[in-house]
Formats: sequence, structure tokens, C-alpha cells
Amino acid sequence: MTAADRPQDPVESGSAATEAEPDARYTFANERTFLAWTRTALAFVVAGLAIVQLLPPFPGVPWGRHLLGVPLIVLGAVISVVGYGQWSHNQRAMRRGEPLPRSVLPRILAATITGMAIVSAVVLLLSAVLKH
Amino acid sequence: MAPPDEPENPDPGMARARTELAWSRTAIAFVAVGGAILKTNIAAGLTVLAMSVLIWVLRRLFPDAATTGARPVRLLLVTLAVTALSLVALAVALLGHPR
Repeated sequence: MTAADRPQDPVESGSAATEAEPDARYTFANERTFLAWTRTALAFVVAGLAIVQLLPPFPGVPWGRHLLGVPLIVLGAVISVVGYGQWSHNQRAMRRGEPLPRSVLPRILAATITGMAIVSAVVLLLSAVLKH
Repeated sequence: MAPPDEPENPDPGMARARTELAWSRTAIAFVAVGGAILKTNIAAGLTVLAMSVLIWVLRRLFPDAATTGARPVRLLLVTLAVTALSLVALAVALLGHPR
């Protein structure tokens, strides 16, 4: 009888009795997924920074660059922290032989990119209107 | 247990090698962010570049954590580094002087 066959303790006890270390390949894959999310987070931070520092100001919308850049930087921090939590949950599920939990990160990512696209369009239109 | 004439594959699926490469890519991404900050704020940029050295070194630290189930100290450190970096970037974005 392996650890995965034993009844699972619903309360997080951290006891080694019901947990077994998963195949190292799965642990490595989980770590690579975490690192990929980390790089995604870094890309968001650098994109936000580039918008604020490198773009020319939007005519008529002086706060436009900050409106677009600052949320991207904050999102970078959020992705990094949530990515670590996801790594942790996945690792625990693998140790207990449970199914992997669903990731919230793709939803966070899709919602934010959609929101940022809408805000970008509004800023551009506002800038075009106020310029004249 | 593998027979003695057939040594056990020390890195099945090249998982370890691929993970080390992922660490390298992450360190390089840190360097890119450090370079971007360097353009605006030299002190903050150099700090981030130093953090990328930390990421590079971290992949060599606790090398058996993945196989022994040791506490993921290095992953926690990476998360803290990215969070700190975001705060630095936020400060640079809000307080820096955009061109």
C-alpha cells in the first residue's frame, strides 16, 4: 500500500504519514512552471516601467502613462506571489496523491490584459479628442 | 533498483537540466529588468542587477531540494525578490522623472 492509497487527512496536518515525495520529474516540472510565471511577472514589471519611463506623454492626458504602467507593475508582484502559492498547493497535492488544484493565474492574466486593453483604448481616444 | 550493469539514469527526461535552464532564463530576465531600471535610476538598477546574481546563485543552492522534499527556500527567495523588484519599479515609476 503506497502513501497515495491511504485515506487522506482532510485537515492540513503536515504529517509525513499520509504524504509521499512525488517523482522528482513532477517536482522539477512544478518548479519550472513557477519559474515561467516568475518570468511572466518580470515581463509585466518591465512593460509597466517602459510605459511610464519611455513612452512620450499622451497629449491632453498627462496621467495616461501612469494609469497604464502602474497596474502592470502591481500585477507583476501579484503574479509572483500567486505563482508561489500555486507551486505550494500543487506540491502538496502531488505529495498526497490528490488531483492538482485549478490555477487562478490564467484567469487573472486574461482579465487584466482585457482590462488594460480597454483602458489603453480609452486613454488613446481621450488623448485624440482632447488634442483638438 | 537498477541492475549494476545498467546504471540508473541520474536525470530522467533531462528534468534537472531543463529546470537549471529555466533558472538561467529567469536570471537573464532579471538582468533585463535591471537594465531597464538602470536607464532611470542607477542605484536601483544596480540593486536589481545584484538580485539577478542572487537568482543565478540560488539555482546552485539547495540542489537536492526537488528530490528530498526540503523546504523551498530558494523559491520563496525568488518570490520575495520579484516582489521587492516590483516595489522598486513602482517607486521609480512614481518618483522618477520620465523623459
